[in-house]
Amino acid sequence: MELSLVLFTVLGQMAVGMTVMMVLREWKMSEVPGISSSLSGQWVLAGLVVLAALVASIFHLGHPEHSYRALVHLSTSWLSREILFYLLFGCLIVIGFFAIQKRSPSRGILIKVTGVVGLIAVVSSGMVYSPPSFPALNNGIPIFFFMLTAFILGSAFASYFVEEEKQSLLVYILISSLVVGLIVNLLIPSIWLSGGKVMQMTGKAYYGSVLYWLRLAGEFGLGLAVLGMMKKIPAWLPIILLAGELLGRIMVFSHVVNTSVNMGILY
Amino acid sequence: MKKQLGFFHDSHLCIGCNTCAIACKNQYHQEVGVVWRRVVSLSEEIYPHRERAFRSLACNHCENPVCLEVCPVQAYTKREKDGVVIHNQDRCIGCGNCIRSCPYGVPQFNPVLKKAEKCSLCWQRLDAGLDPACVQACPTKALQLIDLATFDDPSATQKAPGFPDFPKINPSIRFREPRLPEVVRRETL
Repeated sequence: MELSLVLFTVLGQMAVGMTVMMVLREWKMSEVPGISSSLSGQWVLAGLVVLAALVASIFHLGHPEHSYRALVHLSTSWLSREILFYLLFGCLIVIGFFAIQKRSPSRGILIKVTGVVGLIAVVSSGMVYSPPSFPALNNGIPIFFFMLTAFILGSAFASYFVEEEKQSLLVYILISSLVVGLIVNLLIPSIWLSGGKVMQMTGKAYYGSVLYWLRLAGEFGLGLAVLGMMKKIPAWLPIILLAGELLGRIMVFSHVVNTSVNMGILY
Repeated sequence: MKKQLGFFHDSHLCIGCNTCAIACKNQYHQEVGVVWRRVVSLSEEIYPHRERAFRSLACNHCENPVCLEVCPVQAYTKREKDGVVIHNQDRCIGCGNCIRSCPYGVPQFNPVLKKAEKCSLCWQRLDAGLDPACVQACPTKALQLIDLATFDDPSATQKAPGFPDFPKINPSIRFREPRLPEVVRRETL
């Protein structure tokens, strides 16, 4: 299990989610970024989080001093593309920060471009983690999981920068994401159980894991219950959701079975 | 078809002695726990007899290698002249993406160098006109070096039970399945 990759993927997606929330709020509620200081605070937090994600990613390398070389194989390697798009996303956040501070007229379009580049980075991550060696993930599931992480954590942490009476859009996005997350996370292991031998092993590992049930109850169950009762995002909930997403990602790295473990046995 | 070297493994001839794996270890002195060639025993589901049957497995030097495709630093190359997939350790940064992505579990992490490594099909030996160390060492000739451009054995197959099937990747390995065991009886006097 690679803890640095768990941190990189979850934090990177959280940062993307926070910028996407800014785009959605601007579009849906006609909020102009840069007018409120709390909105630039959200932008700064997204920047710090993606910086932490990129720093964390370096620690899984055997030779971090040569990490810059990871950009040379853009023609076929999704890992090269993932790093490129996350770096681009980070650079756009820095540029966007100054645009917001100076109330530049281009800040609106800059925020949108940053959100789109962030989403492309998340798709690239999904492609990296869907190799043929993991039949359970050799499909669109990683992209879908990663997008869910972005929307859950993005809407949850964006609530720190929005007054309670203006949280309705974020609450709506968070509830929708948690409902989808709960259904998908309950359903997917059962689909794995109907697949080949290695997929079945993955499905059994998920259903048999305490971490899986803990995450369903602690992240999706508790999250939906709290949001249903309070109709707002309490300050402690994003931390619980972050812990749940980290747990979910740890499971992806530790419970999904590789085809090579089954050599000599029927597939 | 271009020249494409690969391994041929005859499970009928293989006695599971592990000489191929040991010859590889002798040739390259890999770190403890790092294995480029391994001999796996076929499960009872595949070979339900009292006798056992084996497959000797290493890098398959695939036509479309996943390791080469996913490596972000272009540490892998496929030789034009014979299709051998080589890992260039000087370029490797130890990201582990090839290790995660290869469906045959071929690339291994060297914990001392903190880089990936794998079977090179002994390309230096090939260039010197020699067989790979594992092929040379096999006492029953169960393991052989073949060129898929000229190899034409109707009893050989790429799709074998106990070996994951990935047609797109097209691994350059062929197997001959073990035969059913024969009962030899003494004639009654």
